[in-house]
Amino acid sequence: MQVTRGSENDHPRPEQIPHYPGPVTMENVQRIFCDCADFSTRTVILHNDPGRQVTLCYINGMVRGERVNDYLLRPMAQDPFLASVEMSKVFELLAGGTLYNLYMDRQSSLDDVAQDLTAGNCILFFPGQEEVLSFAVSTEEKRSIGESDNEPALKGARDSFVEGVRTNTSLVRRKLRTPDVKLREFIVGRHTRTPVDVVWIDGITPMETVEEVCRRIDQMDIDGVETTGSLEEYLVDRLTTPFPLMAYTQRPDRFCGALLEGRVGVLADGLPLGYILPGTLEQFFRTAQDKAFYWTMATALTMLRYCCMIVTLLLPALYIAIVTFHPEAIPVKLALSIAAAKQEVPFSTIFEVLIMLLAFEVLQEAGLRLPTPIGATVSILGGLVVGNAAVEAHIVSPAVLIVVAIAGIAGYTMPSQDFSGALRLWRFVLAVLASVGGLFGLACGIAALIHHLAGLESYGVPYLAPFTIGAGQGSGRPDLTRPPLPKMKWRGGVYGLRNRRNQK
Amino acid sequence: MKKRLIPLFMSLFLLTGCGDGSGLPFAREMGDMALLRTMGVDRGEDGGLLVTVSTGRRARGLQQEAEPPLLISAAGGSLSEACLTIQGQSDNYVFYGYVDQLLLGEELAKQGVEQILNYYARDLELSLGAQVWVVRGTARATLDANQEEGVEGQLSVLQTGSEIGAAGIARTAGELLSDLEEGSATFLPMLQTVDDGEAALVETGYVVFRGEKLVGVLEGELAKGVELLMSHAPAGVIQGELPARQDILQERQVHTAYHPVFQGDELVSVEIRCQVTADLTEFSDKLSNEQLELLRQKVEQREETRIRMALTALQGWDADCISLGRKLGINDPAHWNWLEEHWEDLFAQISFDVIVEATIRCTYGAI
Repeated sequence: MQVTRGSENDHPRPEQIPHYPGPVTMENVQRIFCDCADFSTRTVILHNDPGRQVTLCYINGMVRGERVNDYLLRPMAQDPFLASVEMSKVFELLAGGTLYNLYMDRQSSLDDVAQDLTAGNCILFFPGQEEVLSFAVSTEEKRSIGESDNEPALKGARDSFVEGVRTNTSLVRRKLRTPDVKLREFIVGRHTRTPVDVVWIDGITPMETVEEVCRRIDQMDIDGVETTGSLEEYLVDRLTTPFPLMAYTQRPDRFCGALLEGRVGVLADGLPLGYILPGTLEQFFRTAQDKAFYWTMATALTMLRYCCMIVTLLLPALYIAIVTFHPEAIPVKLALSIAAAKQEVPFSTIFEVLIMLLAFEVLQEAGLRLPTPIGATVSILGGLVVGNAAVEAHIVSPAVLIVVAIAGIAGYTMPSQDFSGALRLWRFVLAVLASVGGLFGLACGIAALIHHLAGLESYGVPYLAPFTIGAGQGSGRPDLTRPPLPKMKWRGGVYGLRNRRNQK
Repeated sequence: MKKRLIPLFMSLFLLTGCGDGSGLPFAREMGDMALLRTMGVDRGEDGGLLVTVSTGRRARGLQQEAEPPLLISAAGGSLSEACLTIQGQSDNYVFYGYVDQLLLGEELAKQGVEQILNYYARDLELSLGAQVWVVRGTARATLDANQEEGVEGQLSVLQTGSEIGAAGIARTAGELLSDLEEGSATFLPMLQTVDDGEAALVETGYVVFRGEKLVGVLEGELAKGVELLMSHAPAGVIQGELPARQDILQERQVHTAYHPVFQGDELVSVEIRCQVTADLTEFSDKLSNEQLELLRQKVEQREETRIRMALTALQGWDADCISLGRKLGINDPAHWNWLEEHWEDLFAQISFDVIVEATIRCTYGAI
């Protein structure tokens, strides 16, 4: 059947609450999980008394057998007290501690029961009771905490977030041992039912930001959180920009550092990273290592990153503009060298640069999509062999190759791949503008870029916050540099903090 | 949204390239351009100008051997006309943006150079930062004589040598124009082609301009006197000052200060104090303190003679090409206006008290 826009299958998405009406009975649960081969039930006789039976149900593969055996089945089969008391009191005994499992809930709705079963809980049905007992005995098959691939630590903690949200919150708790660390959990995705946690520090973080983040997550009505974009694109203020409006990190120490600055953290089950809100430009130039290195080195490296940002963004466009439109701006010896290299190249400088930029992107994409060993081969083949052959065959001039390579390598210094991606897009835009209007076109492009960045906001904080004073409150410290830590007495980056001072 | 779109569309209009008002520069490929390095200007036979331009040695690709310079020559009633003619004679687009060496023929210098400098000041591609030399004979002949290797390398070496004290004073078109605008005289280095099997350009001294015209040439000791007056260490060495010894001195630093001496409101003389620092670079035997003192005095006498000779020549031409009047005014601001008004009349007659103070730095083992 062809579904057309505007039919009743389209908006609004119908959702029945409760999703599964009716009393919590074994029959209803079996009806919900019909056609589910992994759904299992087990009838247990309490201490060999056939008159006293309870039913366990669970989803195979989601529960850990040893826990069910030791904490649930063994006490029920062996505890003589369960056979001696009245049947009406047995339920309370099981709920009260006869069963050893730490995590236990009483559930009285089918929705909750279904949710618990899919989460790996074991449900205990007791005859004559409207409630059931839900025991968290899920398997803990998950990746162990290891070192971050994207943000390697040279000097500092080497743990990184994993896919389990509860593990991740525990990593945060281990670093921030204050009870002021607050967690609010939301279930996102009708089908994935993904736990998403909002984390902040009470007394520092502005509650308006916390409430706004919670409101946006709460309003998310999507099928599921299957990728990082599933959260990002629902939480940012503006989608019509290539620049990332929320930073992310795999490192708990950086995540906790952001919380201490007064930002809000978001952790989602299944995503081995934590988001940091609101996002401001200077976040994407900082690394977790900045506070680990001595301040002079950290400052120099930060400045270097800013310089590299300018190089990666402007160098190809500047080359086109100067070589094609304003050659008098080039020093004589460099001009003679460029002219000599261009003698036998049949293409125009503009075409050369744009094609090389495109080839660079293709190589990078090919290297990323292939398995690591083959990816490395592609880089070597593409970068060295093809590049060298292209120069020797006079298809491109060496100067263009060098310019594109320097621009590309400078882009790799960006700690944030999202930000680096945005710079790559703008690099093309500026190169095209420089091709049309030389330095005039480039200047127009830069003006447009600054206009675009100045118009961005993240949860009420200007994206260019480190460089603006329009928000009414200075950041308290210079963001282009990293002063000695004893002199960084103010939390920076976020406005409306409840406590701006971070040390005596 | 509309407010945002209006400037965008205005920008797009500018980018259309329609008409001369598009505001966009023209695209040119560097590989298709003849990048000129040197321009030579002579007075033509018909009274016009003869312009010769050279690209310097050109490389066809990075690995290829360099080709001889492209040399184009054209005559015209004016520099603009000659340059346009050159544009038409070349297969490539002739780009003047890299012309940083200007050679002026001797005959042209005698008849006036202001026309050339004005063109350099006004043309979009040419720059007043170009180094200027006057060549003995014609610029065309100089460029022709060096046709195989080009003069660009030699001129670059002279320019660099001037900065490090290994060659004479280099002047730019901007400095020349500025001198002519502010005062009445200036000077330029002079070159001559020497052909000992292979043509080479050598410095022969300085030409002095009074107004825009060449009035005289300072060579040998006179040229070194001008360099001392300009606080420029003369290139070359001093040797054989002491009898029966072959000590060699090399002057490293020179600082010359000028002070006007007034009696009442009348300028009676100008004190020139020149401090010279020389290194004893070569010596046969150790020097005694007496010998060193004698050597110092000899150097002072020699430099004083050079300065006096140069000043006498300049006074003879009534050409204050070293901007002495301006320097005196700077050192005595109270008499600035007086000097500005009377200096031109006084320069030819004023007496100079020249004081040279030499310091000889001895290298290890000299004493």
